[in-house]
Amino acid sequence: MKEKIEEILKDPSKLPAMSHVVIRVMELLRDPAVSINQLATEISNDPTITASIIKLSNSAYYRASKPIRTVQEALMTLGIQTVKEMILVSASKAVLHKDLKGYSLDAEEVWVHSLIVGLLSSKIVEHKKIDLPKDLAFTSGLLHDIGKVILTQFFPYHILDIRNELKNMTTTFTELEKKYFGYDHQEVGVQVLSAWNFPAELIEVVGHHHNPQNAKKFPLLASVVHIANTIAIISGIGIDIGGINHELSSFALQKTGINDSDLEMYYMQIPDLQKQIQDLRNS
Amino acid sequence: MFNKDTKIINVGIAEIQISKTPHILRTTLGSCIGVVLYQPDMKLGAISHFMLAHDPVGRDKQKNPGKYGETALPLLIKMFEEEGAKRGSYSARIFGGASMFKNISSNFLQNIGENNIILVREYLQAQKIPILVEDVGGHDGRTISLFLEDGRILLKKAGIEKYLYRVR
Repeated sequence: MKEKIEEILKDPSKLPAMSHVVIRVMELLRDPAVSINQLATEISNDPTITASIIKLSNSAYYRASKPIRTVQEALMTLGIQTVKEMILVSASKAVLHKDLKGYSLDAEEVWVHSLIVGLLSSKIVEHKKIDLPKDLAFTSGLLHDIGKVILTQFFPYHILDIRNELKNMTTTFTELEKKYFGYDHQEVGVQVLSAWNFPAELIEVVGHHHNPQNAKKFPLLASVVHIANTIAIISGIGIDIGGINHELSSFALQKTGINDSDLEMYYMQIPDLQKQIQDLRNS
Repeated sequence: MFNKDTKIINVGIAEIQISKTPHILRTTLGSCIGVVLYQPDMKLGAISHFMLAHDPVGRDKQKNPGKYGETALPLLIKMFEEEGAKRGSYSARIFGGASMFKNISSNFLQNIGENNIILVREYLQAQKIPILVEDVGGHDGRTISLFLEDGRILLKKAGIEKYLYRVR
């Protein structure tokens, strides 16, 4: 099983495809001196992404102060970071809006879960005044489960064993994945984002959203996404075959300074967050 | 089996939905509770999907009664009986209330499911509404679909689906 998964991970043509334009834009954005013209030119090479940016820029979610007609205007009015967020929402939908039969999730559930974890991660950063860019928290949350898109196809081989183990519930679900597939969805996600040459922060969060205490460089960001993911699952959004079969990391709570009354507030905000992501769902 | 007029109505978190045959009410639950009411002669059904037993602040429940069991349940029953269902002619089924499998660091998250289950049982008993079926607690997510044509429920849990037919 492990060999079969490695075969996929080693062959870029077998991984979910990411638009070359998105990969190029992410690279350009690593240069703080990148110009709006450069970005606009690159983005306009992808008509789907361009159309999404213009649609999202004029949505209630982003509340542009005036009508946006071009990518250039979006970049100037809403800022580079916001446009980057829109690009990732649009590009991620192509990859994440998929039925994950192995996990017992349909495409809409996967997509809504990803958006909610992204949005709640950025709200947590804002609420706790954590020194991290909000758009980074959003995109890390958005992409955290990307590895499931690959692992889902291997469930049929072990589904009876996995169901039996779930009845007894002696280990976490990521440990079960590791036991039967040789990889858990975090490790697979790391490989996917690395193949796309995505930034190190995103890769580490994807790799440690269930165990943020093991994140070496960005434990704070991983902790934020860990907590947002836990809240989403408890409230049933994107709750998969593994149920609530993971631990809440006390390291993450300490690192972020989040206490019980914060957790309660985040949980109670879920219905509002669901309303807020309406525009992004249909991007 | 599906009538072309059949609609699947999603019951969102903190919502209450009522409908009649031939439609289907559906909701997905983690620690929240889904309370299903069904009147088999009228083929009338309702689901309340509430998040917490009580409003911790005390001010939010007027604005968002569907969020809290203490306000959602009286509202659910009131709405259901206003549609013509008489007390004694219908019954309840309850689902959800899952909890985290292991958790040392948050009493709040650990206890949501359990507190929700206690409240819904007590409230329905006090209102003399019988609970015919319950599938609550544990660590699994649940998706329930209520088929209003006959009241059967499709319960999906841990990747397994089963029908629950009992309605009286």
